[in-house]
Amino acid sequence: MINIQEKLKSKPWLGWVIFLVTVLVVFMLGMLASSIVQRRAEAVFAYTPEVTFSESEPRNALWGELFPREYDSYLKTSDTTFRSKYNGSAMVDMLEESPRMAVLWAGYAFSRDYGQGRGHYYAVEDIRNSLRTGAPGPGVPSPQPNTCWACKSPDVPRLMNKTGVSEFYRGTWDTKGSEIINPIGCADCHDAKTMNLRISRPALIEAFQSMGRDISKATHQEMRSLVCAQCHVEYYFNKTITEGVSYLVFPWKNGTSLEEIEKYYDNIGFTDWTHSMSRAPMLKAQHPDYEVYLTGTHASGGVSCADCHMPFISEGGQKFTDHHLQSPLNNIASSCQVCHREETEKLITDVYTRQDKIIENRNILETLLVRCHVEAKYAWDKGATDSQMKEILSYIRKAQWRWDFSAAGHGNSFHSPLELGRIIAGGIAFAQDARIKTARLLADLGENREIPYPEITTKAKAQAYIGLDMKNLMEEKELFLENIVPQWINTGKEREKSY
Amino acid sequence: MGFLKKLEPPDKWKLPVILILAVFTGIALFSFHISNATSYLGDKPETCVNCHIMAPQYATWYHSSHREKTNCNECHVPHNNIFSKYFFKAKDGLRHATIFTLRREPQVIFIKEAGKDVVHRNCIRCHSDLLTDSRLLARSDEVHNFRMDRSCQDCHRGTPHGRINSLSSVPWARVPLPGPVVPEWLDNIIKQD
Repeated sequence: MINIQEKLKSKPWLGWVIFLVTVLVVFMLGMLASSIVQRRAEAVFAYTPEVTFSESEPRNALWGELFPREYDSYLKTSDTTFRSKYNGSAMVDMLEESPRMAVLWAGYAFSRDYGQGRGHYYAVEDIRNSLRTGAPGPGVPSPQPNTCWACKSPDVPRLMNKTGVSEFYRGTWDTKGSEIINPIGCADCHDAKTMNLRISRPALIEAFQSMGRDISKATHQEMRSLVCAQCHVEYYFNKTITEGVSYLVFPWKNGTSLEEIEKYYDNIGFTDWTHSMSRAPMLKAQHPDYEVYLTGTHASGGVSCADCHMPFISEGGQKFTDHHLQSPLNNIASSCQVCHREETEKLITDVYTRQDKIIENRNILETLLVRCHVEAKYAWDKGATDSQMKEILSYIRKAQWRWDFSAAGHGNSFHSPLELGRIIAGGIAFAQDARIKTARLLADLGENREIPYPEITTKAKAQAYIGLDMKNLMEEKELFLENIVPQWINTGKEREKSY
Repeated sequence: MGFLKKLEPPDKWKLPVILILAVFTGIALFSFHISNATSYLGDKPETCVNCHIMAPQYATWYHSSHREKTNCNECHVPHNNIFSKYFFKAKDGLRHATIFTLRREPQVIFIKEAGKDVVHRNCIRCHSDLLTDSRLLARSDEVHNFRMDRSCQDCHRGTPHGRINSLSSVPWARVPLPGPVVPEWLDNIIKQD
């Protein structure tokens, strides 16, 4: 090889060639680098919407302008036409379906009114309509605290951001009536800027902390269930965290199973209410949907809530997450059949078979519980003492906790039939324990015949039996809906003009 | 070594040559870094959405039952041996990278013949039980040919990516999640308490 310097001396143009080639190579390398940078940036911006509203925007329609398909499908949660064998999206009067429930909840607001809820679209409307929230008016507060709003609206994180968490919960339910006017929607689960899933409710974050877990480490797939677990869980109001405030807490410190939650309540001596007939210190299970789902086969297979309740659907040339949250039974093709290649009929039969089998024993437990309360009341009337009743009442508490845990989550018997079978069997055993003890006690008190089962074949009869004045409650509610609610909505809409 | 010696510049040139070579190396390393190049050696599906035009493929896989058992490489690169795996991966990957860099990607991406063959073999790799009649313990060539004459995908066209596959088919798919799950204001409130 001849020395390049000598070559350059004889052929000066060669220098120019080397120079230009080098320039070209560096230029191309630079172009490549800048192209990579550009395309990386595209990835960020290609899926970033042009958000013109604030982080806490509660009006779903504004978000809908950016996401018409998602919003349109969300609006379908207003459709109440679908009814499955046991549930569906129509309002079902559960006390009419099973008047026994009214007796089970005697002395508690649920005996007034308990409906299987409609879609998210009706969240605010339905809580106003419920007889449980009472009929507040000038000088008449609601019997419920503001905590009851916690799951109803994207106005909740907006207000919490402004006032803090405890202050949000403070006061009776009617005092925030004009603040909360938008039904469950976008801001409850989504970050306004990135549209990522996010947790907007403190109770779930605190529940994770109490279990020693960090929710910020949740994977995307877990988030597709956790956003639902902000509300579809068992909870109670803790009155000791902040003075005079019903603070929303998920009782998960020991874990999320029925026994672990029961132990938690027993340890802190918590009682939701005292039963007006049996005087048992009762627990009311709310809707432990997430807890029960965790014990099921779908959860262990890595399937999230959204996989079945919000499947991918296509419309024209687009695929998107169906925001019409509903029973997958109304959408077998997009939900079940993604994994289960069976006929629609067969899949529906599979679900109904499980539900039938669970409700069979749940009804037995329900009937036993009615007897428990009736017989305990009879014992009190016969002059039983506190110490004689103590053990019986604790069995009633345990038995009804098991019944309620099974009944309160409407999807439970499908989400985890095995766990529910176990729980209900345990409930039946405790109810029988209570009844045997009561029978012995009654025998001691000189009563040895069977205590008759009450005539509670309809909701009205059951409510009359436990001494509820329904006519009065409904008339008051009517007046409240006519006079107070329109004021709330007007004040709210006025305020929203300034957002 | 004599060859390398000849390439070595004269002493006066050493500094400028070092600087110029460093510039080249720097740009190369920079490109390597921002293109997330090391990730291409692994099997994470997130790697395949380094190029955002793969979002529809990622999102549809994520919403399919194959999410639970597979990643992109399970189906899209050969698994008969490690050499053919990485050879195919490099070949396909470089083609993808080139087309993406040149902005020549089509609006609807179709799989090429070579890729189709790999996918077919990978279907069989996991689902062989569906194709083999265990009562016939012998496996004759006819059976083999019969299987390989047709592709699984000829019938199972929507598995797992669905039938709609344009670049704009999943406008808001949340491809690998960035960012915190607890909003800052709520995090602050909870930390105060």
